[in-house]
Amino acid sequence: MFLEVVLVNGIWIVLILASLMYGVGTGSLSSINQVIVQVGQQTLEFALPLVAATCFWNGILNVARAAGLLRGLQKLLSPLLKRLFPDLDQDPEALQYIAANIAINVFGLGSAATPSGLKAMECMQRNNPDKKTATRSMVTFLVLNTAGVTLLSTTIITLRAQFGAANPTDFMPFAIMATCCACAAGLLLDRLVNYHDR
Amino acid sequence: MTANQLILPLLIVVIFAFALLKRVNAYEAFTGGAKEGLSLFVTLFPGLLAMMFSVSLLRESGLFDLIAAGVGRWFPSIPSDVFALAFFRPISGNASLAILVDILNHAGPDSLAGRMASVIQGSTDTTLYVITLYFSSVGVKRIRNALGIGLFADVIGIGVGIWLTLHFFF
Repeated sequence: MFLEVVLVNGIWIVLILASLMYGVGTGSLSSINQVIVQVGQQTLEFALPLVAATCFWNGILNVARAAGLLRGLQKLLSPLLKRLFPDLDQDPEALQYIAANIAINVFGLGSAATPSGLKAMECMQRNNPDKKTATRSMVTFLVLNTAGVTLLSTTIITLRAQFGAANPTDFMPFAIMATCCACAAGLLLDRLVNYHDR
Repeated sequence: MTANQLILPLLIVVIFAFALLKRVNAYEAFTGGAKEGLSLFVTLFPGLLAMMFSVSLLRESGLFDLIAAGVGRWFPSIPSDVFALAFFRPISGNASLAILVDILNHAGPDSLAGRMASVIQGSTDTTLYVITLYFSSVGVKRIRNALGIGLFADVIGIGVGIWLTLHFFF
């Protein structure tokens, strides 16, 4: 959509131009040239291990799925989701996709969660009277998704290990607490603002 | 041994115990899932490269230090590297990942900045990207207050992450 294109593209261009001009102005030419010639290799050096780790966790996730654990997690979530999405009580399919999306997000594999998330949006759009405007269930779903609880941040664990952390998982309890607070705050605000007429 | 070192082994024990119980072909499931992960490289790399370029330039030109010194005056107890991450976390996943790499590389994963950055990165998702992708996939144009609430949650998550790191994690 418009906003992201303008923001990301705009910020990206401005950052590059401003940095280059400042660097040239203050005479840090050699380090700037180093960035230009080495950035490809540098990016590859940390992207490859990340992809390898994602392969590993995708494999583990798939074992969990085959063993029926994702379905179990969905069942566990469903009473909570029914309360969060009162408008979707006639739409079990949407709730199911939402549950799948949240369950995979808990594993920290955002890209693997996207297909079920898009399916959930499709289901909700089907019963949307005004196709151009978001329903409040959509808003709740996106708050739950963006501020969603991530228990296993595989990317961060991998990067910390790669850069030599003494204990790559030691940040997890704190990240989990912070993500729970964010999720609770987002859902609470959504309740207050969007569901007061109930 | 600390408690957090139990998280990953326990998780995998639970998953594989269930796999054994349900008599599924875990080996095949694993390799099939891992294969899907491979295709991620093609989608991930271009955006990461773009953001690594701008973040590295920002750092190496010295412009970052100038901005951080300005912002840092208001938040003296927070390492200046973390400001960039907090700012970019809701906007671009690739940019925040590039900044995290930069912080882990320069300050180290066990420094205050490295720990705080890890917690912040894990505290929330890329709100702007998710909202854009999900709403545009079904053609919704008026997103009501989704962005506002999402950003509010980000601020809370990042704020709590910074606070927790300062008081308990360093």
